[in-house]
Amino acid sequence: MNAANPRAEPFGKLWSHVGFARLALGPPLALLVLMSLPPTIGALLLAFRNVSLMSPGSRWVGFANFARMLTDRRLHNALRISLVWEVVTVAGAVAVAVLLGVLIFETVKGRARDVICLALILPILLPRVSAGLIWRFMYSPLMGIMKYPLQLVGVPPVEYLSQPGTALYAVAVVDIWQWGLFFAVIMLKLLETLPASPLEAARLDYASTWGVHWFVSLPMLRPALITMLFVKAVESLRSFDLIYTMTNGGPGIATETLDLYAYQTGIGMSGRISYAAAMSVLLLILSTLAFSVLWKRSQRWSE
Amino acid sequence: MKLKSIGLQVSIAALALAAFATGARAADNECVGKVPTIRVIAQPILTIPFLDKNKGEFETKWNTKVDIQQFGENERRAKSRLDASQGAGAYQVYYIDEANVAEFATNKWVLPLLDLMPKEWDWNDFLEGRRAVATYKDVAYFAPFEGGGDVMMYRKDLLAAKGLQPPKNLDELKKVVAALNDPPNVYGWSERGRRGSGMNVWRWTPFFRGMGGQWFSGDKPTFNSDIGVKATQYYLDLLKFAPPGSGTNTWSEVIEGFRGGQVALIVESDVFGPWAEDKTKSRIAGKVGYAPPPEPLPSAGFAHGFAISTKGNPTDCSKTVAADFVAWSTSKDMEARKVKAGILSDFARKSTLENPDFKAQVNPDYIKALLDTAPKTDLLIWKSPLWPEVGDDLGLQLEEVLTGSQTDIKQALDDAADQASEAIKRAAGQ
Repeated sequence: MNAANPRAEPFGKLWSHVGFARLALGPPLALLVLMSLPPTIGALLLAFRNVSLMSPGSRWVGFANFARMLTDRRLHNALRISLVWEVVTVAGAVAVAVLLGVLIFETVKGRARDVICLALILPILLPRVSAGLIWRFMYSPLMGIMKYPLQLVGVPPVEYLSQPGTALYAVAVVDIWQWGLFFAVIMLKLLETLPASPLEAARLDYASTWGVHWFVSLPMLRPALITMLFVKAVESLRSFDLIYTMTNGGPGIATETLDLYAYQTGIGMSGRISYAAAMSVLLLILSTLAFSVLWKRSQRWSE
Repeated sequence: MKLKSIGLQVSIAALALAAFATGARAADNECVGKVPTIRVIAQPILTIPFLDKNKGEFETKWNTKVDIQQFGENERRAKSRLDASQGAGAYQVYYIDEANVAEFATNKWVLPLLDLMPKEWDWNDFLEGRRAVATYKDVAYFAPFEGGGDVMMYRKDLLAAKGLQPPKNLDELKKVVAALNDPPNVYGWSERGRRGSGMNVWRWTPFFRGMGGQWFSGDKPTFNSDIGVKATQYYLDLLKFAPPGSGTNTWSEVIEGFRGGQVALIVESDVFGPWAEDKTKSRIAGKVGYAPPPEPLPSAGFAHGFAISTKGNPTDCSKTVAADFVAWSTSKDMEARKVKAGILSDFARKSTLENPDFKAQVNPDYIKALLDTAPKTDLLIWKSPLWPEVGDDLGLQLEEVLTGSQTDIKQALDDAADQASEAIKRAAGQ
């Protein structure tokens, strides 16, 4: 049969692969669509009305909510803060992961390495709200432990969370503390999986320790690092609870990200659900566009 | 036959009339075991854990589980509003305060209270100030269990060491806190900076109103007037004598700073007086003096309490059980038990002030300051359903001024006024 029709087997194989893929991916994709479509459609419908929690009834207002965004100073600030937050936390977490991972790989061996790994994983196990509250107390200029190192050198207490210039970075430190240390463990485990010979060859050629990693091991881990960047970028978009616990968007609007502003507008005191929904739609569009572009680029970087 | 029919009709009419006359409250014995759970949304003030600890007796009486869920103040307000406005009805009892009673009453999210309360519950025993705050357009909507006004609290020992007298007016206030300011050992003053109608706006308002400010002239906001600027500048000036980080202080940080011995003088809500005297948590117990706020500051009256949800109570039995929970938790007996348990800050009844246990445990200087402040205690915020939004927008602008991200006070107040005008227009257009 096969001899009579040499094309049948590859086609059959192809069909069976496609069929299996459809079978495997179909139900979860259908579930994903079912779960994500209703809230997305709901947000879209809300964004074109003027629903408010303060009063019953609403009407169709077309693009009024979107037009309003053009002149909303607080929204423009929230977009800027969201962008800074993404860049600082993603770059910070991955940088800490790489530096710490390489450092432990080069300097710690055996059981001590396992103990350090365990310690580095602990911060990520803390719920974000707990981590936020602990650090908020540590940052307190009156009672927090962060004031002591400065006190030793005669520097007055720093108002980390109350100064518009430092608050966002102070919160970002907590995010990096949680994710950077966790990623460092992943980085370490990835380094352990690399074949030893390319690294040894580089060392024989008198490459420095950091040179070995910069020119050999990190390029070998590029796909994994890019995945790490993506995971952190998506996670950083969901930092509402940490920022809310530590600063509630303040001082003023210095740490108010777009999701936090949408919450304050829709569920907080204002109760302007439709305007908040319009912001959510904007966030959805911007993040989808940004991630699509980055994903395309990343495929080129991975090659 | 005709007589029988007339008799039947009269009986039905009489029954209907009787049901109408007693409002929606069903007979108690008909509702035992009919309401599996009542959910109560609350915020963690001292009364709430006490009720949670003792709720078993209520649960046994009604064969009903009581689920008390606690959230921070802003979260509690947001969550209860969301529940009420969307008609979810997840909560049978709401925790309500001066800032949202107008909103909840106007939208009929809560039921008029007095129709549903049991006969023995005595509304007239509540202090006049608490009743006034709980009432909107002559209808009572919530049963208060906490409330009060402002009081000035100061460290007697520190003032005595510097030979100072408690300030009587705003000029003296600035001089006294400047003289007491000795960082990092002790700071002269502390105040709320964190945004929110119940946070920085609440403490800024007595300065604004005391200097003669008014919220609105008709529909036009006037809190961005010269008086508004002057009050904000004065509030900002005081911050120079406050501990670092005070620009984003909540009330909790103000109180902890004071009773931790790091702050010398504050003007705060009077419920915190007993907190300062709690020897288990306060380093300054016995060293605190109390006086009315310096002239011309009025005292910001407030009250917190429980209200009965409209959507959360679709049946008469649900209304009855929810009302009885409100009555139980705000009864004379409950206040007396709280006093016995050492909870001296949360009271709302006249009978509590006469309670010998209360008198024995509370600093007499504190009671005197309460009585002296009472005549100038009033609801100082704008009593409108729009207040939460207007107050929150103003709070954000004030926080920007207090933390230095906005240096132009007039511009900050103008921005808040513009947002208030827009909110009014939006509400009118709905």
